[in-house]
Amino acid sequence: MFRRSTHPGEHEKIASSALAHLPMAKAPDAIRTAIEASLDAPKAAAVRVKRPSWRWALLPATILLLYAITWSWYRVHRVRWDVVRVSGSLAPRSESIGAGEWLQTDASSRAEVRVGTIGTVEVEPDTRLRVVTTRPNEHRLLLERGEIAATISAPPKLFFVETRSATAVDLGCQYRMNVDDKGNGLLRVTLGWVSFDWQGRESLVPAGANCRTRAGTGPGTPFFEDAAKDLVAALDDFDFSGGGASALRTILDSARPRDTLTLWHLLARVDVSQRPLVYERMVSFAAPPSGVTRDKVLTLDPQTLKVWKDELAWSW
Amino acid sequence: MADREIDAGIIEACRRGDRDAFRALYESYRDKVYSISLYFFHGNEADAADVTQEVFVKLYAGMESFRGDALFSTWLYRLVRNSCLDGSRGKAARARNLQPEARIARVSAANQEEDLMRGEAARAVQRAVSQLPPKFRLPILLRHFEELSYEEMAATLNCSMGTVASRLSRGHRMLCKLLTPGGRP
Repeated sequence: MFRRSTHPGEHEKIASSALAHLPMAKAPDAIRTAIEASLDAPKAAAVRVKRPSWRWALLPATILLLYAITWSWYRVHRVRWDVVRVSGSLAPRSESIGAGEWLQTDASSRAEVRVGTIGTVEVEPDTRLRVVTTRPNEHRLLLERGEIAATISAPPKLFFVETRSATAVDLGCQYRMNVDDKGNGLLRVTLGWVSFDWQGRESLVPAGANCRTRAGTGPGTPFFEDAAKDLVAALDDFDFSGGGASALRTILDSARPRDTLTLWHLLARVDVSQRPLVYERMVSFAAPPSGVTRDKVLTLDPQTLKVWKDELAWSW
Repeated sequence: MADREIDAGIIEACRRGDRDAFRALYESYRDKVYSISLYFFHGNEADAADVTQEVFVKLYAGMESFRGDALFSTWLYRLVRNSCLDGSRGKAARARNLQPEARIARVSAANQEEDLMRGEAARAVQRAVSQLPPKFRLPILLRHFEELSYEEMAATLNCSMGTVASRLSRGHRMLCKLLTPGGRP
């Protein structure tokens, strides 16, 4: 049915001609019904920002300008997010929260904060958090202590959660994060990606992976939940207790191909003398893509590391 | 493709929460999103429907935040890419029941002989596409159904244009081998 190609350039032509046989499938009408139902669900309706209908006030340019300034001020300072009490009692008792305000749950209470139009944050017991910014292009919380679970459906970098030791930057995802009074905590990503960042030290955490954070150090190195216990313990030692060469050896020995997530981050975190060991271990799992050379990796060329990460991410 | 970049007025109306505009946008893209998902998930209609629904719900939720500094299609297909990858990651451990032929059979034409030939070719291509690793399968499907440029694909797949070119080239080569008698990738 399909003839064998004889020239290298012919592959694309043959593949394109073969793909022409692949028909466009018609999406079943049930999908549209399901989408409409999702959009009509109370949760979706409730998170819509309430806009004052002042648009009739289209008067002269000066009034428009005043309106724009007022509106912009309103968006920045007055947008409030709905707070739903799930159980127990909240402090304060208000049903919404705005920039600069605190929300606190006790040992038996839980709440849900609806983050503008982009998602929700479940607030677990014994948690204290503050809303920092409610701008449409920046939704920012400060988690002082406790645990939250965030579900965000928005373009990347619109939702941020600060802690004392790291800031979680949403890249379109679902995650859970806890932190103690000192700022030590754990991030667990269940969908999408989160960037965990502190003073230029960044950990990229995909679904299925965790990342610890410690006061004074910032985010540790991410690891998959199913990584070997030895690897996780050695990583803790390496990141936060000065485990050095011995911890690194354990990490390298217990790494699997999927743990290239961890090894990729370690490239920039180990001593220069140890970097070749990490590189060689990564290469033992899969050859790097074209353009990713040993020299460029060992000198931490940003573009090279990004290309390699993007390639490795298919197996993460 | 003329209708790929949807009218800015529709996007603006969607951002204002206009459901009719969103329905128009859905109608413009639904079959492409569904087809890419369907063939990405080896013909599994339930997975394709899940991804399509998830993509459009996320699209609606994030529409107000879409600032127009990127192509709308890039954003849309990035959502498709993320949902496909998240879906395939989550379902990796699950044994798949591959039934690509079922869908093909329903889209075939009336003429029986021609239909048989066409159906057979389509099934062969779908089986071959199914055997490609995800990182080659997705660029090929995006290229086939949406004719995205290398630049748009790079933005969608979050990689360089060189990587896109390399994946397409390797994917096409693997596809050729799979489609020739006794071929293996």
